[in-house]
Amino acid sequence: MKKPVKKNNQIVVPSNLDYLAEVDKFVEKKLKKTGLTKSQLADIAISVTEAVTNAMLHGNKKNPHKEVTIDVEVKPTEVVITIQDQGNGFDPEKVPNPTEGDLIKVAGRGVFIYKALMDKVEFSIKPHDGTTVKMVKEIKPEKK
Amino acid sequence: MKLSSREVNGVVVLEPKGNIMGGPDATLLHEKLHEYIKQNKKKIVIDLSKVEWMNSTGLGILISGLSTLRNNGGELKLANVTDKIQSLLAITKLVTVFETFDSIDEAVASFK
Repeated sequence: MKKPVKKNNQIVVPSNLDYLAEVDKFVEKKLKKTGLTKSQLADIAISVTEAVTNAMLHGNKKNPHKEVTIDVEVKPTEVVITIQDQGNGFDPEKVPNPTEGDLIKVAGRGVFIYKALMDKVEFSIKPHDGTTVKMVKEIKPEKK
Repeated sequence: MKLSSREVNGVVVLEPKGNIMGGPDATLLHEKLHEYIKQNKKKIVIDLSKVEWMNSTGLGILISGLSTLRNNGGELKLANVTDKIQSLLAITKLVTVFETFDSIDEAVASFK
């Protein structure tokens, strides 16, 4: 398996789900000293793996020559993570709400889940130039 | 992710260990689950005590197993669901789909 390219706060991986664990490990390492709780870190890990999965499968259509770039920015009060693919512009907003209709569908929950777990999610869709998902988690003590 | 399995009173208990996010870990769970279903084992419990979190791929595997089993007169139940997975089940309304239990014993006993 080709080695992912890591540079400071960025990791670039081919469109292959086998790299998910590597991305997860990279993000976890970058967030180690942020003061985020275990639960908040799990929210981020789930959200990143969802968005990277979508970028590989729906953005880059599993093309192994197309890559997914993940940037992790730690600010004093928030963590900003961006996931960018090289596809033709997959619009995550068009995914139907999985809690309406048939609940037993096997797929289609990723976007819904990361929108629920993160504090802010923004999409930037450029036809022929990929989709970028920007997700923010605020660094604050968790409500009890 | 590691995966072990055993049988308790005719019920298959699958015990994944580690997070389920897609890739080889998810394939392993999916294949093991469907391997038991093919063997006509219709009562399956998944012990989630050692799975801190899973993403929608993990949820999809559980649903796929559940649907296949229900279509064949069987059932898949969850035991020891951790807080984060419980919250995901709530967000996605899958709490209304899965039966969950606080222990493997309770889950196994519920098949009687």
